[in-house]
Amino acid sequence: MLRILCFLLVPLTQRSFSADISFNRDIRPILSENCFYCHGQDPKHREAKLRLDLPEEAMRERDGVRAVLPGKPDESEMIVRLLSQDRDEVMPPPKANKHVTPEQIALLKRWIAEGAKYERHWAFIPPRRAALPEVTKAGWTRTELDRFILARLEHEGLTPAAEATPSAWLRRASFDLTGLAPGPAELDAFAADVAARGEVAYELAADRLLASPRFGERLAQDWLDAARYADTHGFNNDSGRSMWRWRDWVIDAFNSNLPYDQFLTEQFAGDLLPQPTVEQRIATGFGRNHVINSEGGIIEEEYRVEYVVDRMRTLGMSTLGLTLECCRCHDHKFDPITQRDYYQIFAFFNQVPELGEDGRVANASPLMDAPTREQQERFRQLDAATAVRTATLAKLLASDREKRGDAVVLATLKTHLAGSTASVPQGSRLLLGARATADGKTELVNLPDPKAKSLGAATVRASDDAVLGPVLSFDGTAGAVLSRDFGDLGKAWSLATWVRWSGGEAVLCSTMEMQMPASSGGYGRGIAVLLTAEGRVEVRHSMRWPAYAAQVFTSETVLPGRWQHIAVMCDGTRKASGIRVFIDGAECAKEVLHDGLTSVVTLSGKMRIGEEAAPEPHRLRGELAGFRLYPRVLEPALLRPWVETSLARVVTQGEGEKDRADWRRELLLRRTAVDYARLCEERDLLREERRLLASEVPTTMVMQELPAPRTTHLLKRGMYDAPGEVVQPGVPETLLGAWPKDAPRNRLGLARWLTQPEHPLTARVAVNRFWQQLYGVGIVKTSDDFGFQGEYPVHPELLDWLARGFIDSGWDVKALLRTLVLSATYRQDSTISPTLHERDPENRLLARGPRVRLPAEQIRDHALAVSGLLRQRLGGPSVFPTQPADLYKGIVVAAAYPGTTWTESTGDDLYRRSLYTFWKRTVPYPVLNVFDAPDREFCSVRRARTNTPLQALTMMNEPAMVEAGRQLGARMLMEGGTDDAARLAFGFRAATSRPPRPEELAVLRKMLERFRKDFTADDKGASALLKGTSQDAGQAAYAALGGLLLNLDETVTKN
Amino acid sequence: MMNCNQYSGAESRRDFLAKFSYGIGAMALGDLLSPRAEAAGLPGVPHFAPTAKRVIFLFQSGGPSHLDLLDYKPGLKEHFDKDLPDSVRQGQRITGMVTGQARLAIQPSRYRFSQCGASGRWMSELLPHTQKISDDICVIHSMNTEAINHDPAITFIQSGSQLPGRPSIGAWVDYGLGSQNENLPSFVVLNSVPSAGGGDQGLLARLWGSGFLPSKHQGVQLRGSGDPVLYLANPDGITPERRRALLDGLGALNRLQFEQAGDPEIETRIAQYEMAFRMQTSVPDLMDFKSETDATYELYGKAARQPGTFARNCLLARRLAERGVRFIQLYHRGWDHHDRLTKRIPVLAGDIDQASAALVTDLKQRGMLDDTLVVWGGEFGRTVYAQGSANHDNYGRDHHGRAFSIWMAGGGIKGGHTFGATDDFGFNVVENPVHIHDLQATILHCLGINHERLTYRFQGRQFRLTDVHGHVVKGLLA
Repeated sequence: MLRILCFLLVPLTQRSFSADISFNRDIRPILSENCFYCHGQDPKHREAKLRLDLPEEAMRERDGVRAVLPGKPDESEMIVRLLSQDRDEVMPPPKANKHVTPEQIALLKRWIAEGAKYERHWAFIPPRRAALPEVTKAGWTRTELDRFILARLEHEGLTPAAEATPSAWLRRASFDLTGLAPGPAELDAFAADVAARGEVAYELAADRLLASPRFGERLAQDWLDAARYADTHGFNNDSGRSMWRWRDWVIDAFNSNLPYDQFLTEQFAGDLLPQPTVEQRIATGFGRNHVINSEGGIIEEEYRVEYVVDRMRTLGMSTLGLTLECCRCHDHKFDPITQRDYYQIFAFFNQVPELGEDGRVANASPLMDAPTREQQERFRQLDAATAVRTATLAKLLASDREKRGDAVVLATLKTHLAGSTASVPQGSRLLLGARATADGKTELVNLPDPKAKSLGAATVRASDDAVLGPVLSFDGTAGAVLSRDFGDLGKAWSLATWVRWSGGEAVLCSTMEMQMPASSGGYGRGIAVLLTAEGRVEVRHSMRWPAYAAQVFTSETVLPGRWQHIAVMCDGTRKASGIRVFIDGAECAKEVLHDGLTSVVTLSGKMRIGEEAAPEPHRLRGELAGFRLYPRVLEPALLRPWVETSLARVVTQGEGEKDRADWRRELLLRRTAVDYARLCEERDLLREERRLLASEVPTTMVMQELPAPRTTHLLKRGMYDAPGEVVQPGVPETLLGAWPKDAPRNRLGLARWLTQPEHPLTARVAVNRFWQQLYGVGIVKTSDDFGFQGEYPVHPELLDWLARGFIDSGWDVKALLRTLVLSATYRQDSTISPTLHERDPENRLLARGPRVRLPAEQIRDHALAVSGLLRQRLGGPSVFPTQPADLYKGIVVAAAYPGTTWTESTGDDLYRRSLYTFWKRTVPYPVLNVFDAPDREFCSVRRARTNTPLQALTMMNEPAMVEAGRQLGARMLMEGGTDDAARLAFGFRAATSRPPRPEELAVLRKMLERFRKDFTADDKGASALLKGTSQDAGQAAYAALGGLLLNLDETVTKN
Repeated sequence: MMNCNQYSGAESRRDFLAKFSYGIGAMALGDLLSPRAEAAGLPGVPHFAPTAKRVIFLFQSGGPSHLDLLDYKPGLKEHFDKDLPDSVRQGQRITGMVTGQARLAIQPSRYRFSQCGASGRWMSELLPHTQKISDDICVIHSMNTEAINHDPAITFIQSGSQLPGRPSIGAWVDYGLGSQNENLPSFVVLNSVPSAGGGDQGLLARLWGSGFLPSKHQGVQLRGSGDPVLYLANPDGITPERRRALLDGLGALNRLQFEQAGDPEIETRIAQYEMAFRMQTSVPDLMDFKSETDATYELYGKAARQPGTFARNCLLARRLAERGVRFIQLYHRGWDHHDRLTKRIPVLAGDIDQASAALVTDLKQRGMLDDTLVVWGGEFGRTVYAQGSANHDNYGRDHHGRAFSIWMAGGGIKGGHTFGATDDFGFNVVENPVHIHDLQATILHCLGINHERLTYRFQGRQFRLTDVHGHVVKGLLA
């Protein structure tokens, strides 16, 4: 009697497959749901000091009773309390709003009667391959996995459905592996191949689908949800970001069948691999896809912590299948994970040099240049071509050195210089000089102005150099302040100055104001040019430091103790690429640390020279000479000859600077040897091309480690401002496996730990999600929670068999999917009988094939594909298909941040696959949103599948859908044959991958006639539907029928 | 096929489903991923007899200044430009926008307050019409929130959490109570365009989103321009008759397919297309204001004649309420008065004052105020100290979550009542604090919902709007 009751009332997964009671399957779910909240592992919430999650605690005698007394259910206090009628005694207490059913109590009694055996939670035990179960109808199976399904079906007294037709299978597999349905030609070819070769045809078709570039696009879709990929930062401003290079990486990874352990490792820690490639670093954008807040006035640390929390949540849901985020504030209420465990893992993700407030107009720091593969190839070509010339030049230089000595070169150059006439670029607004005042002090002046007023007193030494101009000497204790504004240089400007640097971090000049709290709106507004300790030139262009600023460093350095020329140019744009730096007239390569300037800051004359306005300012030790500012960008080709000539005059004085002998020889050759000059010119052209290419390279946000690790504290109640004990990076080793030997204690080590073959969760979670992708629901339905509160797997041995096989195959995703789609289970017909539906409404037992509505992207892609509108191009930046023009009106911020306006794409980009659609988090693309695509503010691994009137309106009336219907109508007429029946059948088959049955064709013909007649009497209506291209009633009727076909249930269903 | 007494609770879900004409599809539902019948709420909800059948939330985005509108602090005049005493601030964290200020100078309101209504409550001259409905509304002076910035604060008041990801209050109500009208969505969102400015903060789809609830519970925007509901209008060349014919054909084909495939999902889809078709009539009917009289426009103000204004949306809210729409969420942006408050707040008050009062009056006249809960307020208030320096005529105020004012009316709320109080600086709550979660619990309570029992299981946990907090504020209830 009990068995039968349970059978009827307990969910499928908790139904006893065998007569034995299993703690994991039958008992823990009851205890976890109803008891662990107060009698679990969280000590702060524990009532009566009783734990029921540990056997020794549950069975310990307390006040003369035991909660669980093995063998004696009626004497077990747990049962007594569950059955109590006394409101003060009964468990769970009435206010807990939890109810244990009589059937569950009966199960608990039986469990205690049979000895109250506890088991380790199934998901924390590494998966093992069980022996294949015995089945009676072994002939039905095609793969080993079918044995598990069949065994369960036979146990339940169910029989598998008949095999689906080849066409039905091909449609199903094509949607699952490529996201697109097969075309008529593919269907025909496959049917013929099956007739000719049987099973082999299926294998070849699967291989073909797996090899299609569309495979990566289809697989990426689900991972983009898990990785919360979007094209905007979220939050209030929700401005744009550029992460599509990461999306391209995901598509490529699936297409190239990157082993899944590598797939995870590169995303978690690609930057920490030895000599990481550009692509491996791009992969780490996975850790940066989270929302980022740029609302003014937020507290930085509060949000920086949120970003780390988001990484934890993503790790939990996407990879571990654990609700890690529950432990942010307290020990987990259900799973054996403590708050301390949480912050130990947190420590791995807490080491990113990032800001809390960032990303108002661009990518947030840290970011990198992420050239596309084509751009990388072009860079390689340019670099190779440059290297050839550089090598030849070096050879020419060496042979010249053998021919003549340094002294000869020096003398020749001197002679050459005598005739050289290059002059300083004209039109400077400021040439900084100094003069003695009447009282013997020094004041700064702007030299080009004959009546120069004082720009302020300065305690610098001033002198004059015949070649370099007025010289100011700084001893590192004070700088000069231009107290008088000599005017605004505007947005585009240039700085040119000679520097003799004495080493150390130095400020050449700065207008940045940092003598205020860093959270103030105007903090650090201005422009600064600095030298790093290594002598790299750093330029800051800042609206608010450091979040809303462009910050670049040169790769080249200046050396201490000698005169060198530095020129900085800013083209008046916000972009870091608009800043160019030249050392000794030659343009430098740049590294961009930050590219988030919100608006251009003009260079004002209120400037500090040799120091900055900060509480603890950096200063300059060394000299500046000929310090000039220009209200425009200088012409590099004019700057260089002047700089080189001037420098040559300096370094040829007397015996000549010793360590610039090669520089002199090089200059002389360049100016006098035709071959050498030509090669130099070629090299410069290549470099210029490289520079232009580099300015087009997209950036992408990446993970990076702080130079010095940040201390991680347990945060009390999860609050950013309530640090508790210090924790070291680590993982719950007792629960989930030991830290791999020799693995570094960083994200790379974490990735190794996650992907070690004995990890109990990673592979199970992954194969379950692939299963879910095919069947609409996983073997574990709660694909984001494998913990105590998650669902017990409906086929536990199968899940383990698949997980183990996945690991043993080298985490081969394509091989796994190949097995799945070729299985007999997958190949069943999807027809649902009323009795089967009643038995198994969600098709968990798989006595039939999957029949589920397509995901949002596929609905749109399929409509575009069957109508011939779809434009296939793999990868690239996001696109802006048609959406209502006023969708953002009255909703988005008024500021003109990128991502706050929708500029409709043109041409092919109107009809690209949906995964490339610009994903704005706070105002999602309506066509996808209405079909349950998530907003991607957080990680999600399960989408709802709703069925709503708004979906119907979208399918019927959305402009691209209407256009698709029209085009499908045109295709029916053009390609469908010569009579209505053939044409309608063609359209029907394009949408559903099968020919219409006679009764269906009859309905379609009747409809066609009706509309043809209707439109014959209404030219205007016909013309309107055909967008004025024609007023032909037949065409209009086909257009209407095209729309109808796209709206069929079967069209939007994978069946 | 659907009656309008769902929340009487008399009808069980099973009874209801049995009556549903597409019984095969609906009866077989057993899973959250499958669609439920279009109008059904949760079994057993409402938990008790409601005092409100519907809610109209007049949300004032940006943080209206309670000190210039509703919370009268005459004593501040004496403190003009004095430093905010530490004893008042009590270490309260302040936003990054004023951490750089040398001092926090007290800024009295420049607006005249006068007494109104039977209770003689004080209200600002900025709200002359609201003054007139003083006896119908309950003003709460003791609202408080932990959030100090817009995004978290507005997300908090709309979803019970400062961070994205949770369902909005309207989605919770839709999930719990279902719909009263089979031809219109039960959770409708109206965004209005201020007469000046207003773009400082974005309104985010998550504010009316469904979070982890199935997405059918998300609010449907009724837009002021273009299609009132996205993609409502048939394309050119498709007349309503043609649409009907196409739907008949579609239905016939889908039914043939149902006979073959047996998937109840198909039947549901047919029903959803039929509802879409009905919406194509019911929504234009809703948006057709011809039947509104001049007297009504007089009441709501001239702006009500112009689509997209707050006044128009207030009138539309009444029309939605009449049609049984359960949760009507209005947004009006532009209250973020960090500077030039004195220039901007009269404009905003002008946008909303007459229409808000008119809505209450109109509902009352139609006998609907008794079972319609109207809520007026923003995500937080503003500081008693000036952002920048204190100035008699031109000042600004920063965000302030520790105390602010809202008002509620109708649907079981005590009219003419004042609840809670702040200190002399309008800075701290000194009496009867009402936290955001308390407000949410109270709104649900008016709808007959025990906020602790309206839960949804997600990631192994029973989630609710009020998280693990919130108390029904009995003192507000009539």
